[in-house]
Amino acid sequence: MNHFAVFFKKELKESVKTYKLLLLGIVFLILGIMNPLVAKLTPDLLASFLPEGMSITIPEPSSLDSWAQFFKNIQQMGLIVVLLVFSGVLTNELSRGTLVLLLTKGLPRQTVILAKYAAMLVLWTMSVAISHVVTWVYTVYLFPDNLSQNLFFATFCLWFFGALLLAVLLLGGTLVSSSYGSLLVTGGLVVLLNLLNLFSALKEYNPLALATKNMDVVSGAVAVSELYPQIGITVALILATLGLTVLLFRRKLV
Amino acid sequence: MNILEIKDLHMSFGSNEVLRGLDMVVPENSVFGFVGKNGAGKTTTMKIILGLLKPDQGTVMVCGEKVTYGSSRTNRHIGFLPDVPEFYSYMRPLEYLHLCGEIAGLSRERIKERSVELLELVGLGDVNRRISWFSRGMKQRLGIAQALITEPRLLICDEPTSALDPIGRRQILDILAALKGRTTVVFSTHILSDVERICDQVAILDGGKLVVSGPISELRRRYRRNSFSVRFSSPEEAARFAALSALQQPTISVIVDGDTLTVASADQNGTGQLLISLFSSEGIVPEKFEVLEPTLESLFEEVVQ
Amino acid sequence: METLREYWPFLVPLIIAQLTLAITAFVHVIRHPSYRFGNKVFWIPVVLFISIIGPVVYFVFGRGDAE
Repeated sequence: MNHFAVFFKKELKESVKTYKLLLLGIVFLILGIMNPLVAKLTPDLLASFLPEGMSITIPEPSSLDSWAQFFKNIQQMGLIVVLLVFSGVLTNELSRGTLVLLLTKGLPRQTVILAKYAAMLVLWTMSVAISHVVTWVYTVYLFPDNLSQNLFFATFCLWFFGALLLAVLLLGGTLVSSSYGSLLVTGGLVVLLNLLNLFSALKEYNPLALATKNMDVVSGAVAVSELYPQIGITVALILATLGLTVLLFRRKLV
Repeated sequence: MNILEIKDLHMSFGSNEVLRGLDMVVPENSVFGFVGKNGAGKTTTMKIILGLLKPDQGTVMVCGEKVTYGSSRTNRHIGFLPDVPEFYSYMRPLEYLHLCGEIAGLSRERIKERSVELLELVGLGDVNRRISWFSRGMKQRLGIAQALITEPRLLICDEPTSALDPIGRRQILDILAALKGRTTVVFSTHILSDVERICDQVAILDGGKLVVSGPISELRRRYRRNSFSVRFSSPEEAARFAALSALQQPTISVIVDGDTLTVASADQNGTGQLLISLFSSEGIVPEKFEVLEPTLESLFEEVVQ
Repeated sequence: METLREYWPFLVPLIIAQLTLAITAFVHVIRHPSYRFGNKVFWIPVVLFISIIGPVVYFVFGRGDAE
């Protein structure tokens, strides 16, 4: 436990010193502001592109549009930035050789993996929280309706999906020892999940739903309990991925 | 007492057999030079000692405890300095030593005390820059400090001087020499003058085995070539002396180089007396007459094919 | 103009956030002139004029090992 605390602290400090914290904080803050703004401005923008004299009826935007923007942006831009920022978190240490000195001082190998994962989760949680809170504040300000429900749960699902990808990123780093390689492994998983979605039999257990069904949860089309199987599967996948990563990392030459 | 004992170590990478039955013993409180050509297996041996590699066969004992691959138990006795140590470059030296101390499980006060002491020892006492601005030599010195933070009984350095300029090299060697008596130092190198400068024990690795090992003074005696160097007052005199019929024997070889002769033979005392009697019978007083000590270099060339 | 006034609660924090990112990256580019690829002349306009993406790409891919 003591080793974990020491190395976890080092990881957090590293996040600050290598600008990871700043980068994620600001990007997710900007995303948070943009979501309601884009929702509000879209009808005006559409109207201004219409030829003179033509008019169509565009429905008044609501809080649902704002949250739709939120989930779309976090799922695309947000996750991509997080994965990019963390792509070298293990592989840079391996390629530079900074871990050797600490490992020979008695730092257990599983601690390296677990502390790194914990630090990544902290930053990912912070990022999602910033974006969620900012979006929520502005949405309430612009669209004071009561159309959106289960917001916390919907965001939690997306967060869970991100947590899975981060675990896979570490596995990728252990497998291929390069930051591009670990991104490729993670991207490969997303492609695989999308392919699996083509089989309707598996759909119900596909973790991908945690990143795609969010708006259905917010609009009430999908009940919260319908996503429980996917959450269970994702927890199992995260634990399995971490376990495999630790096993592989123990055998890895440094 | 022996601080490190290696028995019958075998290790191969694919079809490349790096170690073929390495036996090595390092006595406590020695400064031990581990010499070999590049690629002879020095780094591999060190990684096995640290439990970072699994040998195909053989055992390593550190302070009487067996080293097992993947475990760091025996590493509490060892401080390790890799050939090019890499640090977290955003940290400052004290910060880094603090991290090392915490991982090694030292108390807060002990870490503070040790860090200041060690930075002073390696000449980084007043350096508070980020490590990213460090020169290679400074990184090497910080590397020694981090290796010593746990007060290890054995310090292992992998080619600590090979990447440095002459001044940096001297600084590192001085630091290592200063540790004598406090810690056993094993360092690998292919630079023989470094070994001659600070080591009292040496082992030469070739073809996956030790070909020579022991105290340097004893090796010098054992490998003494029976040769003499004689300097005359002029090249003419040297040439005249070399042409004497008493020296034209199959067991004696004479090499003339300007005013200096190098005479080698199978029988040391006899040849020495022969030379001295020749000086008196020829009425020559040489400017210099000495028995040649074997240099580590000649020894190395002799044992490594 | 009307629209701008209406949206200042959005635009002000947005601009501050983007400027912070751009300036931090700019200062880093100037003070650490060793990059994994590219040079100063390349990175300065990238971090200043490509909003968000520019600084992100710089910190993730362009920044040298020295922090």
